[in-house]
Amino acid sequence: MWKEIEKRESGRVRPRSFANRVKSSRVASLQLSNHKDIVSPHKGSVNSLQVDLTEGRYLLSGASDASAAVYDVQQPQKLEGGGLIAKHKPIFVIDKQHEHRHKYAISSAIWYPIDTGLFVTGSYDHYIKVWDTNSTQAVMNFKMPGKVYSTSMSSLATSHMLIAAGTEDVQVRLCDIASGAFAHTLSGHRDGVMTVQWSNSSEYVLVTGGCDGAIRFWDIRRAGCFRVLDQSHSQLGRRPPLLERSAMTKGSTSRSSSGGQNMSKATAVSRKSSHGNGAKHSGSNRISAKGSIKHRLHPGMLSSQDRATAHYGAVTGLKISEDGMYLFSAGSDSRLRLWDIESGCNTLVNFETVRLQTNKPIQLSVSEDSALVFVPCMTVVKAFDFWSGKTYFTFRGHYEYVNCCCYSALDQELYTGGNDRQILVWSPFISYEADEGTTRNEDSWSD
Amino acid sequence: MMRAQFPHIDKVSIRPFVLRSQLYSSVVDRTQVDRELESLRRTKVLRIFKLNTGQDDHAIMFLDDYLNQIERAVKRMEEKNVHDLEVFEWFKIHVIDTRLEPNISHQDLCSLLSLGGKVKDNQISVLINGGVIIRQLIDPSMYWFAIPNVGSMLKGLSQGRKELLSLLSRRRYKEMLLASLEKKRLRLSPLDMRFHLRDLIGSGHLKTIKTPTGLVVRISKE
Repeated sequence: MWKEIEKRESGRVRPRSFANRVKSSRVASLQLSNHKDIVSPHKGSVNSLQVDLTEGRYLLSGASDASAAVYDVQQPQKLEGGGLIAKHKPIFVIDKQHEHRHKYAISSAIWYPIDTGLFVTGSYDHYIKVWDTNSTQAVMNFKMPGKVYSTSMSSLATSHMLIAAGTEDVQVRLCDIASGAFAHTLSGHRDGVMTVQWSNSSEYVLVTGGCDGAIRFWDIRRAGCFRVLDQSHSQLGRRPPLLERSAMTKGSTSRSSSGGQNMSKATAVSRKSSHGNGAKHSGSNRISAKGSIKHRLHPGMLSSQDRATAHYGAVTGLKISEDGMYLFSAGSDSRLRLWDIESGCNTLVNFETVRLQTNKPIQLSVSEDSALVFVPCMTVVKAFDFWSGKTYFTFRGHYEYVNCCCYSALDQELYTGGNDRQILVWSPFISYEADEGTTRNEDSWSD
Repeated sequence: MMRAQFPHIDKVSIRPFVLRSQLYSSVVDRTQVDRELESLRRTKVLRIFKLNTGQDDHAIMFLDDYLNQIERAVKRMEEKNVHDLEVFEWFKIHVIDTRLEPNISHQDLCSLLSLGGKVKDNQISVLINGGVIIRQLIDPSMYWFAIPNVGSMLKGLSQGRKELLSLLSRRRYKEMLLASLEKKRLRLSPLDMRFHLRDLIGSGHLKTIKTPTGLVVRISKE
């Protein structure tokens, strides 16, 4: 370690790569923390965890017993075990005794991205509440048409303060904190929406995954979604090459006998080449089929006819990589897929998974510089390499299903919460020397 | 790589096909398998079908084997004096060559078949009876492509899987030596034991462990 620092001092190693090297060696040694413990007051399964985006210091958790709690993960409340184990108790808890409580389970709890003065909780009792952290009062209430599965706020937003909410209703609603009303709704899904995520590259782009298996990209300034991810469109490498687009061919018109006004067209998308394997010409057909409908549809709504599915079951988890170029999705068909956002294609990286939880949305997490993805699979959390799909680590510690995991890039720590009501901390291994008070030559019998 | 699989499978009345999970168990790098399958599919060497047994099963078949299978199905239907068999010809020429995905929508099917001649609804029923397309359950206007006369195979597949898993789970430690396992015969399935073993190992239900006495097959717990 000292040699590394010396190399950095003398300039032989660049500071950035030195930091990255230290971080990745810490991540490689992640295990159940032997020096940090979070005391969880929840009496129901922990559904959602988030570390705040501004300081990386406060952890917000939401649980099935309608309780939400905030912990300070950098300063412990108590030190036990001879000063070695730090116990982090919650700073405050909102539970069923609170006057503004939720009635049923909290499915998602997120911080306001600008500062930690506000946080938002969405619950199965059809309400989304915005809370003031310092006075722990609910300042705003939004009523949704169905159980709220997931909420999200954009961390890049400078011109809007919208909460995107995915519920069991087919429409995605955007709630505005500034005005206290709904901004607009996005329709296009055919079943409930399980996960919503704002894009990391644009403040107006929202990605939603639904129970119908479709992943849709929405630009909130327009009507309708502008892309639906289809699992049969795939590309063989990281990026499609910039040259050599194959010719766009217009296919036959549809033979719908009712004389509907919409035409179906098949367009061939540009060909992809396999990574390092030499060029290969191939085209995948993109069919946006229109049914034989009588009425004219607004051009922005044409995508609601697109029935492409990203997964064979429901989409249970979505995460965009830090650079905003790739999207990672988990489905109830026990498949994890990596999508290239720019081209909308499935890069065929195969992640070895056996089973994933199917009825609840799960929260995935990526490490900084997107080298690892942390996925809760049943009772363990697996860390997959982003590009090769190999399982690097398996974190076994929970007694029951794991629902959520959150990676804190500042300390390289992973927090996971599960149905066993515990929040576990996984941190880089620190070894403690055991010779406090006894020298090597003595054993426990000598006095 | 894939040709090596074929001699292992001895079929009764169907041309050989491979399951995707079997390929995963034979080749180490799964991403590579996916990518090669994709490129072979695009160059039309083979076709992928989605099966309805279990979560995510795909059957992979060489294209000429598939065409062979369709021929046999057509012959069988001729014996039963079903008319309108030229729809199979159109199907072969127009649909299979152009549509590479495992599913197809109703409009597409009609439009492509009509390139051969005028298509009627009962001709589509003939196609369904022949077994080349199947209606999707979720979405009534979409069809899956299918292999004709594969029903007995699929039944054997799911029953054989269940039987093999129950055989291992009844044992005390849920494991068995690979050598003795291979010698057993499955009661309910016409497919042989190695087929099922490779399939279950590839899909993750079983795992193999090296021991000093050989490989041991064990049920994986997660």
